[in-house]
Amino acid sequence: MLTLKEKRIRRLAIGFILPALLFFLLLNAYPLGQVLWDSFQIKNLLNKAVDGFAGLQNYKEVLRSEYFPTALRNTVVWTVISVAGEYLLGIASAVALNQRVKGRTLFRAMIIVPWVVPIVIAGMTWTWMLTPDYGILNIWMVELGIIDKPYYWLGELNTALLTVTFVNIWRSFPFYTISLLAGLQSVSRDIIEAAAIDGAGVRRRFWHIVLPQLRTVSLTIIFIHIIWTAINFDFIWVMTEGGPLHASETLPIMIYRYAMQEYNFGQASSLASMMLSFMAICIALYYFASSRRQRG
Amino acid sequence: MLISKRKRQLLTVITYVVLAGFAVYCMLPFLWMLVTSIKPTDQIRTLHPTFLVRKMTFAHFDNVLNNSAFLTFFKNSLLVASITTVISLLISIFAGYSLSRYLRFKGVRLFGVAMMLSQMIPGVLLLIPLYLTMKQLSLINTYGSLILAYTTFAVPLCTFMMKGFFDTIPSEMEESAELDGCSTVGIIFKILLPVSLPSLISTSLFAFLNAWNEYMFGFVFINDEAHRTLTPGVSLFKGLYQTDWGSMMAASVLSVLPIVVIFVFLQRYLVEGMTAGAVKG
Repeated sequence: MLTLKEKRIRRLAIGFILPALLFFLLLNAYPLGQVLWDSFQIKNLLNKAVDGFAGLQNYKEVLRSEYFPTALRNTVVWTVISVAGEYLLGIASAVALNQRVKGRTLFRAMIIVPWVVPIVIAGMTWTWMLTPDYGILNIWMVELGIIDKPYYWLGELNTALLTVTFVNIWRSFPFYTISLLAGLQSVSRDIIEAAAIDGAGVRRRFWHIVLPQLRTVSLTIIFIHIIWTAINFDFIWVMTEGGPLHASETLPIMIYRYAMQEYNFGQASSLASMMLSFMAICIALYYFASSRRQRG
Repeated sequence: MLISKRKRQLLTVITYVVLAGFAVYCMLPFLWMLVTSIKPTDQIRTLHPTFLVRKMTFAHFDNVLNNSAFLTFFKNSLLVASITTVISLLISIFAGYSLSRYLRFKGVRLFGVAMMLSQMIPGVLLLIPLYLTMKQLSLINTYGSLILAYTTFAVPLCTFMMKGFFDTIPSEMEESAELDGCSTVGIIFKILLPVSLPSLISTSLFAFLNAWNEYMFGFVFINDEAHRTLTPGVSLFKGLYQTDWGSMMAASVLSVLPIVVIFVFLQRYLVEGMTAGAVKG
């Protein structure tokens, strides 16, 4: 039985979370339910005459679509290469920033900059640097003898996705840098010194003492970024719109295309639901793994 | 002491080389953006471009500012991002306080889980129902649609940031104020917020940057020039100007200007916020 004062406090606590809860219910939970519901409905804004329960029809049609396998493969390639590249650059830059050299703050500032500018602006500037006519990167590469003549990096089937991935790595790795740098700074110097006295060299100290201590923060940022990257819409849309000929189309781009170009909300919702379920499984696994790690 | 002096020197040299490499990699696009924006067109369209600007010109800036809706977009973005920041901050101060102090109630704990999960729900998957909801509320082509959407996606992160900061403040301070007859809202505003000013700056910075940089909702919810925000606005220049890269880079320079100002003055808070977010997950 709660005391009178405790009851009053509980009312206050609920009152404090109410606005945030309303936003969550109206603009997160409700739309989420709507997506799941719509995925089983026939819902096409171009053909309003037909509607009603569709069963698994939407799912079947999305899975059978000729672009689905490509989009799925592109999403995996885009996510895996992005996250791997970001982590490598992140750890390299974090270790370098953790050394006692002059001008660290300035270097850190320059490294964060890509992360704070709008994706649209970053994407456009890279598009300009990569244009076949007068793009500085193409001209440099020709002068250095890497390529014979300017290449349309974003417009060719085999390079479009990888080029956007490269730019995405450039934009996202600073987040890893800052997180890993914070992790590195919390590694105790005493342990490192003790290991040094015991005769462990620089490399051994890094692999056996520093890196294991970064495990938790590494797993967290990698996990978050797998989700953030897989669902990213902006970069690909701004730079290639999924083209040429769907060569850089990922699942979020496909959802957008279903919804805003074909107005087939049912199919768009079923694709979104599939992504949501996949994410839910990932989150559950992650939660399960991390709670087991904490216990064991 | 940990390594010999020669190795130490070698390591320092390697560190500088690596850091310089990263600096070039990160800054190159911005330098090229700036250089392009102040070059005359004949120096932009050349097979031998250089970073040297022989004849500086502000023609591209003049073009963007006077012959396009850029200033409208800029004003819209500023308005939407500022209102979003204020609302998100107000909501998350209270929600964060509740999560920090009243976690003993089941409802509050449940709310914490909901916030955690909603941080994971990506906007693109909710795009369709949100679009339809905005349409039903006839909010399409208004600032309201964007403010609502941006606030929804900013509140969870801001709430956790505020909770984190409140957690570090001992509750003894509040207890004595409570004995003096101060209400809880009074305690938050008179005692807690003044001491957590840096955290407030950090949190608002994230809310503002998220709203300022967001692209997809701005692109989908707004169809008329008068309400369009900066990121979709600038991306549409691409079709408008075709290959007038000078003007496009001038627009880019102007769009990152507020961020550069924020960055130069508030970098410390930004790094703090990023670190807090990463450590807690």
